[in-house]
Amino acid sequence: MDHALILDGVTKRFGQFTAVSNLSLQVPTGCIYGFLGQNGAGKTTTIRMVMSIFHQDSGTISVLGHSDASQVKDRLGYLPEEKGLYKKMKTVDIIAYFGKLKGMDTSTANLKAKELLTQYGLGEWMDKKCEALSKGMGQKVQILGTIIHEPELVILDEPFSGLDPVNRDVMRDTILQMKKEGRTVIFSTHVMEQAEQLCDAMMMIHKSELAFAGKLADIKQGLDKGIRLEYDGDGSVLQNLPGLDRINDNNKSAEIYLKQGHDPQDALRWLIDHLTIRSFDLSEPSLHEVFLRTVEERDAALAAVGVTA
Amino acid sequence: MASKTFLVAQREYLENVRTKTFWLGIIIVPVLIAACVGVGALINKFKEVQRYTVVDLGDDELAERAEKQFRTRDMLQMFKLIADIKENAKNQSPEALRELGRQFEGMDPEKPTGEQKLAMFNWMQQQSPKTMATFADISASKKYDFVSLEELEVAELEPEAQQEALNKMITDGELFAYFVLGEDPNKTVNGFEYVANNKTDPKLREAYERALTKLVQNDRIRAANINSTVAAHIKKRVEFGQRQIGADGKKSNVEKSDIVNQWAPIGFVYFLWIAIFSIANLLLTNTVEEKSNRIIEVLLSSVSPTQLMNGKIFGIAATGLTMVGAWVGFALLAAWLAPVLLGGTGEFLDVLIPALSNISYLAAFLGYFLGGFLLYAAMLVAIGSVCNTLKEAQNLMQPVMMILMVPLISMVFITQEPNGTVAKVLSFIPLFTPFTMMNRAAGPPEVWEYVVTTILLIATIWFAFKAAGKVFRVGVLMTGNPPKLKEILGWLWKS
Repeated sequence: MDHALILDGVTKRFGQFTAVSNLSLQVPTGCIYGFLGQNGAGKTTTIRMVMSIFHQDSGTISVLGHSDASQVKDRLGYLPEEKGLYKKMKTVDIIAYFGKLKGMDTSTANLKAKELLTQYGLGEWMDKKCEALSKGMGQKVQILGTIIHEPELVILDEPFSGLDPVNRDVMRDTILQMKKEGRTVIFSTHVMEQAEQLCDAMMMIHKSELAFAGKLADIKQGLDKGIRLEYDGDGSVLQNLPGLDRINDNNKSAEIYLKQGHDPQDALRWLIDHLTIRSFDLSEPSLHEVFLRTVEERDAALAAVGVTA
Repeated sequence: MASKTFLVAQREYLENVRTKTFWLGIIIVPVLIAACVGVGALINKFKEVQRYTVVDLGDDELAERAEKQFRTRDMLQMFKLIADIKENAKNQSPEALRELGRQFEGMDPEKPTGEQKLAMFNWMQQQSPKTMATFADISASKKYDFVSLEELEVAELEPEAQQEALNKMITDGELFAYFVLGEDPNKTVNGFEYVANNKTDPKLREAYERALTKLVQNDRIRAANINSTVAAHIKKRVEFGQRQIGADGKKSNVEKSDIVNQWAPIGFVYFLWIAIFSIANLLLTNTVEEKSNRIIEVLLSSVSPTQLMNGKIFGIAATGLTMVGAWVGFALLAAWLAPVLLGGTGEFLDVLIPALSNISYLAAFLGYFLGGFLLYAAMLVAIGSVCNTLKEAQNLMQPVMMILMVPLISMVFITQEPNGTVAKVLSFIPLFTPFTMMNRAAGPPEVWEYVVTTILLIATIWFAFKAAGKVFRVGVLMTGNPPKLKEILGWLWKS
């Protein structure tokens, strides 16, 4: 099986509103795949259709080689964006319960739940009720409930949100471990740096339509290079840079794009005169920049045909 | 796939059974009922003895004779008393009583013969009120305590001053009441008074009135020179013997248990109502909670909405059955314990308990509980699925509450007329079928009514589940304001 997930011309409407429009997509088996897009773009709806919580109005979805996702529910793992647990249940019970719902037998599920809790440093919390957990711990319990049955395809909706750096790393390692074991991981995120670091491939959905999909290198192919700058000083002077096309200024660093025909060498000279430069690098645009440009271009295109944002 | 429904039901059941609310619910209902029955019995048992006296404006003879007559109402108590004395060989009891015991050798204290009754009446007439009062003390059945004017130290006072003194005693609570007897009841009953501050407990006045009336009637009969046999014949009341027509089409006597059987369904309707109400409420809050803490999405990635909904309903139905089962257990326990605890005095309970533990009633109760619960559960789970907060849910629940009020309001009415038009009409409205048919059990309704209403009920449950499933499927993932009724109907129509 080459692809864990194939969407072909999938459309979903809610009344008058089209949430996902004619979406086609292929997620190779064993990769880490990113779902990008603004809030409300249609990511969660797409995920819910893959999980057969919703049914598409048209198009086909093939999950793990089955056209009916509900047949392979037990081989999928899903961590929704909004995380919730039964407050009154013990952590070990709820993880085991999720496992049992995925078809594990009771004793295996209980054993595995204990094992996972210990492995993830929550051994002491095994017999505590979920209401006693901190947010980070609750999220860990939830992800353990998602992977307890060793799913072949895991879909994580915003897995990193609300986590501290330590737990972010734990989450990242979990994702990488799953890839190592040959599972396919799809996750959605708003943090482009994370997607850029983790994903083998990704897609972006914008206002219910697919904007791009594929490997990162392919997506960036053909895009003009930009200046990555780290600096000290008053960044507001950057607006006066001769030949400036667009800039993402982060106060200590900036990503700068010049208009056609302007030489980065000239820009560097100008920058040295006006700021203390700590590093200067000419490279492909960041995913962040790609994302912003896509939104801008697509919004402009939509505006041109009379669809307001 | 059914096993996932089972898993959801199992979790639902275990989690609910673990809550304090569940155990409170199990315990509080029997405790309340026991309290209502028990406290009533206890209050009667430990009611404060009511002290009273009699002011006789005529000759004192009437007061004394009235008192003797009044005391004869304790006759049955006297029979029991002497039987008891014999059995326990209480040698310290008064010689007069032991003498009496010998006189009634071998009698049945529960059912004395007419001759024995007459003998006892005559004997009691001979005793002074004081002696009779002592006997009442021994039998511990004393409810009223006669205190003479001498004992109250007002015997020598002028009538007006005397009554003033007695009034003060009543105000001070030393005396419960006093009677004022007019000069000659054979001429006029004007001026006969009952003075008391308690206006809610008429038992003393009524009992004394009956005794005095009997006495005065006899006096009048004698004064008019009417033969006592003729008088008894004239005084004889017309009494209707209560009969009923049994299943065999023949008349039979109406026993007390038959009357209780007629009323017993009310108890069942109450139980049914409480059970359905509390359980359905649990289901509603539960669904809203699951939805508001977003766990629903995780569940839906593993089970289908139908499995989830059915699992919840069945899990909570099992919770309810456990609760009802516990109540039935309590009832049977009470049936077994009541004679021991209440010392067999609960004549009412003796007939009530067999009615409660009547197997066909219990079976019907469980059946209608399930039917009623499933129907209301389907409605409430659909409501719960479209709400994000309990407050929204409570608003949407109001119509259901109104519907649930109907069986309560019509309950007494239906009991009195189990086969009346209203009862019949309500039976065929599936929302009310479980309550009404249970209520009519004593009627009883005809077999075809049972069959048709049951088919209607089952069909409605089936439709309700279908509809609830559709609403649940859409509603459960909705956020924001709950949809309007029109929108919900739209979902039903469309999918």
